[in-house]
Amino acid sequence: MPTPSLVKASLLAALLTAIFVVGWELYWRGQGFPISYNDDASLWASTRKRIYRSSPARPVLIGSSRIKFDVDLDTWASLSGQRPIMLAVEGASPRPILTDLGNDPAFRGTLIVDVTEGLFFTPPGARQERWAMDRLRAYPNWSLAQQLSFHLNRGLESRLVLLDENKLTVNAFLDELPLPNRPGVFGPPRFSPYFSFNSFERQSWMSARFVADTAMQNQMKAAWRHLGAGQPQHGVGGDTLVAMLQTARRAVAQIRRRGGHVLFVRTPSSGLYRQMETRNYPRAEYWDRLLAVTGAPGIHYADYPALAGFECPEWSHLTPRDAAAFTRALIPLVEQQTGWIIRAHPVAAAPTVPR
Amino acid sequence: MVFNSYGFVLFFGVLLVLHHLPLAWRIKKINLLLASYLFYAAWNPPFVLLLWLATAVDFYIARLIAREERPVPRRLLLGVSLGLNLGLISFFKYGGFLLDNFTALLGAVGIAFHAAKPDLILPVGISFYTFVTLSYTLDVYRRQAPPEPSFLNFALFVTFFPHLVAGPIVRPADLIPQFYTPRQANRAQLLWGLLLLSLGLWMKVVVADGLLAPVADSVFGVPFPLAALDAWAGVLAFSGQIFCDFAGYSTCAIGVALCLGFVLPDNFRYPYAAIGFSDFWRRWHITLSTWLRDYLYIPLGGNRRGSARAYLNLLLTMLLGGLWHGASWTFVAWGALHGLLLCAERLVRGWTTRRRGQPLPAHAPVAEARVHHAAIGPPFPAHPLPGRFGLGLLTLLLVNVTWVFFRAPDFATAARLLRAMFGLLPSAPPLLTTLALLKVGVLSVGLVGAHWLMRDTSLARVAARVPWWLLGLGWATMLVLLVLTQKSSSSFIYFQF
Repeated sequence: MPTPSLVKASLLAALLTAIFVVGWELYWRGQGFPISYNDDASLWASTRKRIYRSSPARPVLIGSSRIKFDVDLDTWASLSGQRPIMLAVEGASPRPILTDLGNDPAFRGTLIVDVTEGLFFTPPGARQERWAMDRLRAYPNWSLAQQLSFHLNRGLESRLVLLDENKLTVNAFLDELPLPNRPGVFGPPRFSPYFSFNSFERQSWMSARFVADTAMQNQMKAAWRHLGAGQPQHGVGGDTLVAMLQTARRAVAQIRRRGGHVLFVRTPSSGLYRQMETRNYPRAEYWDRLLAVTGAPGIHYADYPALAGFECPEWSHLTPRDAAAFTRALIPLVEQQTGWIIRAHPVAAAPTVPR
Repeated sequence: MVFNSYGFVLFFGVLLVLHHLPLAWRIKKINLLLASYLFYAAWNPPFVLLLWLATAVDFYIARLIAREERPVPRRLLLGVSLGLNLGLISFFKYGGFLLDNFTALLGAVGIAFHAAKPDLILPVGISFYTFVTLSYTLDVYRRQAPPEPSFLNFALFVTFFPHLVAGPIVRPADLIPQFYTPRQANRAQLLWGLLLLSLGLWMKVVVADGLLAPVADSVFGVPFPLAALDAWAGVLAFSGQIFCDFAGYSTCAIGVALCLGFVLPDNFRYPYAAIGFSDFWRRWHITLSTWLRDYLYIPLGGNRRGSARAYLNLLLTMLLGGLWHGASWTFVAWGALHGLLLCAERLVRGWTTRRRGQPLPAHAPVAEARVHHAAIGPPFPAHPLPGRFGLGLLTLLLVNVTWVFFRAPDFATAARLLRAMFGLLPSAPPLLTTLALLKVGVLSVGLVGAHWLMRDTSLARVAARVPWWLLGLGWATMLVLLVLTQKSSSSFIYFQF
């Protein structure tokens, strides 16, 4: 072992690393990056542990990114006195999670399922389903060692901006290189780094800079267009769809049999996304049929004036301000549609009827 | 607990402090033992019971074997130890596999048999600690080592956390004597250990998980035919991934042990610069290949019972070596391929040696101390550099072909990959991005180049030659890249074996 040089080398390495970490942290703080938690399997598992204390005032939310952006947990908590349990997984189908909750004999709580048709009705075995399955598989195997690391990591993530796995890693920077692909290769979409941040309670929000910057919004629209280009022109049908609907029916029935409640919600989309969804997933074939087969109540944003007026800046998710307004408008509608008591102090509101 | 986790950083920090307190050596060893159980239990606490069972049974049976002079009772006692160790591993690791094959066999002769498949969790590291305890009992049985009188020393030998779950597979002589006298790392050992830990983590977190695993996962995960370029890139990515994952773990383990003042055997010596398959196994997972040589190949007769028997022994050893890696026929195929390649090499070597009129090289551990343990078979004869490099590239190519069976989930995927690699498929749509291809290309060339530059030297020798500032800069670069990759807590591939 090269003793003398090791001491000097270790000191130099420690010094350079410390300088880098401090400089890197200050740089990204200067760029307007907030503290954000990595929305990984451990964070999901820690949230999954809390589902047994759910109630109408504190429902479990499943779905994909839209409900994570569109239901504002602070607003919900300010009205109900309790915070919902966010189990939605970005880019994933909620169907496996619905099935899992149906099969969990201990779950007899309240569930709100966000339906983004392109993800909810994703074909069996597709990667959108696999992402959800990955979380489900990881949960029962969440070891004591992983839990310890998760809590230590939480302490660091609550203080350091640079620990952002999605945006501030070697791979994220390499992905930004302008390298043309071979014809036919489906490359990853280029998301704006200011688009999505994540709280410890798994609330997603877009930054003020993103809300104010149409160039960033256009970058996200291009990303959605790119992802949409890989989608089929029409959603699944036939026996595959029937099987999916039956799976959902079975899970809803299981939860209800145990005294639980289930509500489906369709959150807003705009622009090209809305057009694509309307074309690929006609409402009568998918949304209406889902409600009919499961027998569960549903709230489609387009049916209610209080929900229909929101515009998504990048076609698919609401701004933080709109998310708060959307949540304020959604809660009375949920109460009305389901009879659940959510608000700690309900105020008399004008009856809202579907269009 | 994995080395690449915040939990381990806390665990190791506390343990280092405890180990450097002015406590009695026995107390320090108890600390290490308890810490090792904690390290293991952090995955799944009940499996510590299996570890205790294997430790207690092998400790006491080895003492009885040493005391017993009559051959039959000695054999019976050995049988109990082998039965327990191999029984545990067979039940947990191969139970489902055996049941599947039994069902398929009955089905083939027209008997419909359906049994509920046991839903067993594989205790992490069971293949590794089983081999550790087996080597102890077998050494005592063969009177190559006396039984260890101290239960604490023996328990620590089996359980010492740096090697417990993924090796290096230590032998009694490697580790037990180190527990006899107080050990504490001096400053140089501590720093060198930390450097090795940083290097191992960099290999695992940055290269294996961060840069190569997504490419390999993508290529081995698609259910459709691939273009040749994509198939090769996927296989090369896995080739780099598995080396950096496993050698990274071993490097971490050696570094962590050194920080505590203990020396573990080397497990890798730049295997992608191997010339021939004997050389490859002298450089890849050295502690496994030497274990197989000493406890399987040589007891089977090695090459002492004629040429045909030597080939058969080689094949059998590698088949079982393949099966050790996992309960699947794809692993058996991987082992069989390596066995065949070793046989082919032996055949060619014998033929070329006879043509030159030279005697066959002795089939014994090589005298050169540079290689800590010899593998199965003598090294390939030396050639001028271009020839050696050519043979090295041929070895690498064939090693990559064998990796297909190792990584593919089934034979259909393996066949699809191989057909794509050798252009036997009609044109298929391209899969990988230019960036992915560049990552694989640059890292593969870098990895193989580094192995060739390092193949006849060691990291310590190189570190001693380079200026301190360059060493510090390289170390800092690894740490910065670790911060920039942030993929913590993912398991090492070899944990599943």
